[in-house]
Amino acid sequence: MSAEATKADDGHTKPRADKPTIIRCQDLGRTFWRGKERLDVLEELDLEIPEGSFEALMGPSGSGKTTLLNIIAGLDRPTRGRIEVAGKSLGDLSEAALAKWRSQTIGFVFQHFNLIPVLTAVENVELPLLLTKVPASERKKRAQTALRVVGLEDRMDHRPQQLSGGQEQRVGIARAIVHDPKIIVADEPTGELDRQSADDVLTLLERLNREFDKTILMVTHDPAAAERASVLRKLDKGRLS
Amino acid sequence: MIPIRYNLRNLAVRRATTLATALGVGLVVFVLAAALMLTEGLRRTLSRSGQPDNAVVMRKGSDNELSSSIANTQVGQIASAPGVKKDADGRPLAVGDVVAVIFADLANGKGKSNIVIRGVTPEGIAFRPEVKVVEGTLPRPGTEEVMVGRKIARRFEGLDLGGELELRKNRSAKVVGVFEAGGSSYESEVWGDLDYVAGAFGREGMVSMVRVRLESPALFDGFAAAVEQDKRLGFDAMPELEFYEKASEQTAVFITAMGVIIAVFFSIGAMIGAMITMYGAVANRRSEIGVLRALGFSRTTILVSFLFESVLLSLLGGLLGIAAASTLGMVKFSMMNFQTFSEIVFAFEPTSEILISALVFGGVMGVIGGFLPAIRAARTAPIEAMRG
Ligand SMILES: Nc1ncnc2c1ncn2[C@@H]1O[C@H](COP(=O)(O)OP(=O)(O)OP(=O)(O)O)[C@@H](O)[C@H]1O
Ligand SMILES: [Mg+2]
Repeated sequence: MSAEATKADDGHTKPRADKPTIIRCQDLGRTFWRGKERLDVLEELDLEIPEGSFEALMGPSGSGKTTLLNIIAGLDRPTRGRIEVAGKSLGDLSEAALAKWRSQTIGFVFQHFNLIPVLTAVENVELPLLLTKVPASERKKRAQTALRVVGLEDRMDHRPQQLSGGQEQRVGIARAIVHDPKIIVADEPTGELDRQSADDVLTLLERLNREFDKTILMVTHDPAAAERASVLRKLDKGRLS
Repeated sequence: MIPIRYNLRNLAVRRATTLATALGVGLVVFVLAAALMLTEGLRRTLSRSGQPDNAVVMRKGSDNELSSSIANTQVGQIASAPGVKKDADGRPLAVGDVVAVIFADLANGKGKSNIVIRGVTPEGIAFRPEVKVVEGTLPRPGTEEVMVGRKIARRFEGLDLGGELELRKNRSAKVVGVFEAGGSSYESEVWGDLDYVAGAFGREGMVSMVRVRLESPALFDGFAAAVEQDKRLGFDAMPELEFYEKASEQTAVFITAMGVIIAVFFSIGAMIGAMITMYGAVANRRSEIGVLRALGFSRTTILVSFLFESVLLSLLGGLLGIAAASTLGMVKFSMMNFQTFSEIVFAFEPTSEILISALVFGGVMGVIGGFLPAIRAARTAPIEAMRG
């Protein structure tokens, strides 16, 4: 992590024209088929997100927020259109190359935390580093550093079930930043948390955006959460407004 | 690579299922190891009976001592063949025994079984220096006295020091000694005087088979050629080791085949067990696998990890199986040798080779049983991480 080096001077990340675009969707479409029934979840969607932005994506249930997030994070592929993230045209990548790209570029924060139950906090956080060439001793140090960033230095060796929901999500965030990805995607990261824990998590995301210059794309139903982002986008019936 | 502790802890977390599945695999490994150990025990017992510098001569066409018969008068002819060793007095080391089988009551009323009765001369006993009386005395030549092998003493009614054994109606034998013979199959026999035994079974003037000691094992070919030369006599010579190997061959093949058939049959069940367990594990951990895929772990890595977990599971069972099988080393086993129709007593022989191959068999079951579940795990789409 390069915290000091990238610390923003003004502490604010309003979308700025001088920042290069890190996520670009052009004419994006995603169609699902349920038997013979066609479901156009995303249609002719254009989106540009500048580097270092903290954006919230809202919209009714079923509007395609998760679908869009999956495509941007390289978990799913669009049916039509172009998608370019962090300088890579994702459509050109093979499945294996896409997996490798994800492991270097994206940090994931999930609604249900999705920690591996049999691994301790520090082992969970270490996971993304297993895909790198970082040596074992160094991996552990970096995982510990990431847990310190999220304020869980005293919970390193706890299993997920020994943690509160808010703590689990902070471990999830540590896991999302340990390999220093450019982009963090979070699908309803506060969806299962009480107000206080949710606020802690949001404060943390804000910090990651400001101090570590992470581009964050967060899907949420919570207006208070959306407040904290610098840009709010609304998705309805497959289109952005 | 996904760390091994991930698999180990998952096995530990679902310990009841793990144990049940492992026991299934363990049972198969146990059965397989037991059968192989039994075969090995039989093979060793019989091979201890043969000496490398001994040769046997039988009637052509017979493949065991019971069906062979050679006239007393022809023994000298065999003894004079080239290569036969001479004792200090210049007499050739060649002996003929009479061998018969009786059907006798087992001790404590457990039914009946066969006993091999061997009629021997004093030279015949001296020919086998491994034979040692451990209780009582040697039977006196020319009497109805007999000695019994250590392994069957007390297994049969009357086969005890001072006991009586009926060879034929009105032809009883008196037990005066118990002997051991280096763990060989002789220890499952009753030995008496040559003429008394021959008389009891109406085999006067005959021996079953002739054993000779050769100057060296290398001289066998010359000896055999000389003995087999006269086709009218119809003799067949064989190194003694080979004779005993052949004598155990069918039984050994039978035990191994039974063991392997049972093990393979059971292993289908155990592999299905492992497969069900692993399918369950994959289903329970679907979103977890999705997370690993989302983080960038490849399909191959996931496949290997789950296959590995299945192998760990079955190796655990395999270890239980061979641990249980090893304790069989203390169990004596008695069964019919179909080629001699006699009861032979031997032990399960746990060799490291047998235990390792049984364990490997267990591991292979894990690979086969875990393969389809591991493929299913590897096919998990990364978007599964996003579903709850
Ligand atoms: N793999 C799929 N196959 C078929 N239909 C799908 C698939 N994934 C999503 N859908 C459908 O696409 C639509 C949009 O789903 P999506 O999960 O993107 O919505 P969302 O905006 O995230 O909703 P929510 O707020 O409830 O999470 C839904 O109607 C859903 O049923
Ligand atoms: Mg959603």
